[in-house]
Amino acid sequence: MMNNQISIAGIYSPPFRIVAKYFVAAILAFIIFNFMLVLNYKNFNGHHFQPKILSINHILTLGFITMVIFGAMFQLVPVVLEVKLFSTLLAEIQFWIYTAGCVLLTYKFYFFTSKLSFELPAILIATGMTIFTVNIVASMIKVKKWNITGTYLSSALFWLLITALAGYLLSKNLDTPFIKINHLQYLKLHAITAFIGWVSMVVMGVSFKLIPMFTLSHGYKITLAKWAFILINIGLLGINWIMHYPDTKFWNLIFGLLIFTGFVLYIIQIFTIFQKRIRKKLDIGLKFSVFAFIMMSVSTLLNFSFLFFEYESIKNLTLTYGFIVLFGYISFLIVGQMYKIVPFLVWYHKYSSKVGLEKTPMLKDMFNEKLAEVQFYLMIAGLFILIPSLLIDLQFLVLIAFLFFAISSIAFGFNMVKIFRS
Amino acid sequence: MITKEMKISDILNKYPETLEVFVRISPHFKKLENKLLRKALASRVNVEQAASIANVDLKQLLYELNKAIDPEFQMHSDEKDSVNEQNTNEYIPDWLINFPEEKIIELDVRQILQSGKDPFLDIMKKVKELKENEILLIINSFEPIPLYSVLAKKGFEHYTKKEGNIFKVFFSRSTNLQKISEDKLQKKEAKLEDYEKVIEIDVRDLTPPEPMIKVLETLSQVDEKTLLLVHHHREPLMLYPKLEERGNEAKSYKINENYFKVLITKKGNR
Repeated sequence: MMNNQISIAGIYSPPFRIVAKYFVAAILAFIIFNFMLVLNYKNFNGHHFQPKILSINHILTLGFITMVIFGAMFQLVPVVLEVKLFSTLLAEIQFWIYTAGCVLLTYKFYFFTSKLSFELPAILIATGMTIFTVNIVASMIKVKKWNITGTYLSSALFWLLITALAGYLLSKNLDTPFIKINHLQYLKLHAITAFIGWVSMVVMGVSFKLIPMFTLSHGYKITLAKWAFILINIGLLGINWIMHYPDTKFWNLIFGLLIFTGFVLYIIQIFTIFQKRIRKKLDIGLKFSVFAFIMMSVSTLLNFSFLFFEYESIKNLTLTYGFIVLFGYISFLIVGQMYKIVPFLVWYHKYSSKVGLEKTPMLKDMFNEKLAEVQFYLMIAGLFILIPSLLIDLQFLVLIAFLFFAISSIAFGFNMVKIFRS
Repeated sequence: MITKEMKISDILNKYPETLEVFVRISPHFKKLENKLLRKALASRVNVEQAASIANVDLKQLLYELNKAIDPEFQMHSDEKDSVNEQNTNEYIPDWLINFPEEKIIELDVRQILQSGKDPFLDIMKKVKELKENEILLIINSFEPIPLYSVLAKKGFEHYTKKEGNIFKVFFSRSTNLQKISEDKLQKKEAKLEDYEKVIEIDVRDLTPPEPMIKVLETLSQVDEKTLLLVHHHREPLMLYPKLEERGNEAKSYKINENYFKVLITKKGNR
């Protein structure tokens, strides 16, 4: 019992325009991604290591996912950890360097034979990520009240740098080969570190704050969250180590099982938080999130099975798995959380000073909830059409699925514009 | 049984549940939550020394520690001849023994609760009015546990007596408290008795930003003589700048992880 009389907190949040800039860029990237899927649907079969797929993949992972995380962390770190963001200027500089890197990298992947080197975009992106890490760490140093979210975010930053470093080495290797082990094995390290170390650590850490906040849940223990953190991070350190050796089989199984167990613990933890919620009705933002957590569970199980057979020898399985993780789990979660966060930020920026003095809109009135529902079901329908048609390689149905995605992304863009302009 | 000669680290190793007791009794012991500091500090210090370092009553500390590991524990009455015979199974703090009854200020909060109001403000008001040599007695139908630590921050010790279905809690200013810090506390605090009207709102079942909307909408009714008491499920960090804008100020009291009482007033009120 450490009941305190708490002093009045200063103004923590960074300027709205910084966060908005990252979010707008991310929304644009998401729409571009969906249209690139339609334009290149024929490329989605066979091995995943193809220039077009790599390009489109990075539009999503760098342009949408990581871009949103950057913006969200500038907003959330100050509020969750009660510190001021170290520098708004660094956040601004980072945006332009990072965005330039993203555009050039996806361009170079797409037009694989162009004269542009791989190294330049990789350096730009890694620089942007390093600036981000410096900015957040410099803010975190002043934190007085540490919490589980802070712990997860710190490890996410570490893995972000590892991902950037691995990405840089891979890009150099594409210019002039020098990596002694298999390029694809190193790519695997890059991908695992990105999805589990960077994205999932952020997602998990932030979820311990946002999900209880939006569902009004409390009275649960966070023991599982601590164990999940330990297991996943040991697993990741292990994977990063063994991937530097030619034979990974045995240790891959051990560390893979650690990560798997960590994810299972996390999923149980999130389930208990949902169970203890006071708000029983799920609004559209939470519907997206719940579906995302189900897809996260599915990908965790798939990953578990991958420990025991040569999954890459089954045609299109890796691609299908990629869509379940990137689209089903991560994109659904981000879209859902954006339906919660963006209206709030805009409302706070524009209207919070006017409440009680003049009429202000309700959050729900700031976007078309019906349209958001349509987007939700279009995305689910698209995903459920895509999975079997990829596996049995029916290109026509793959195109239909991508069209569903593209239409849904337009709905998303429309709603987001509506929020920003309301 | 824990004795005054035992080392703190041994106690914590053997009975981890006593950590909570230490922390509750004195903020000095908060350091023990940190495992490294615990190793560095606690291995050389016994209970008696710790009590004097933290300025807490040794007997009370021993009693609470033993109670934590054994709910059946009874204090030996060998040193306490003056204690009433029928109460030997209860520890009564020194400050309450032979305390003149007319100096005990009584506040029965049961009626306040019955009328559906939160007695928190009334209690704080009484606390303010309490003179140096007086003791506050709160009578309630349940044990007001969160109040213990809120008042401990203000330098109060407590003693709780259960009589049938009612709880009698005595609060006394701890004599060991440094006067300077108390003065500081008092200067910062707006005087509660100056407010004639109290508006109470509960925003705990609302999701963001509805709590903020509700508070800001109610703000128009808050004038120099009004106090707005908000029951919140977390500390409203993003609300503070908005209150500032409108010339209000707020103070939050943490009752537990999911319950904060936020007092909002016009700025610059004396």
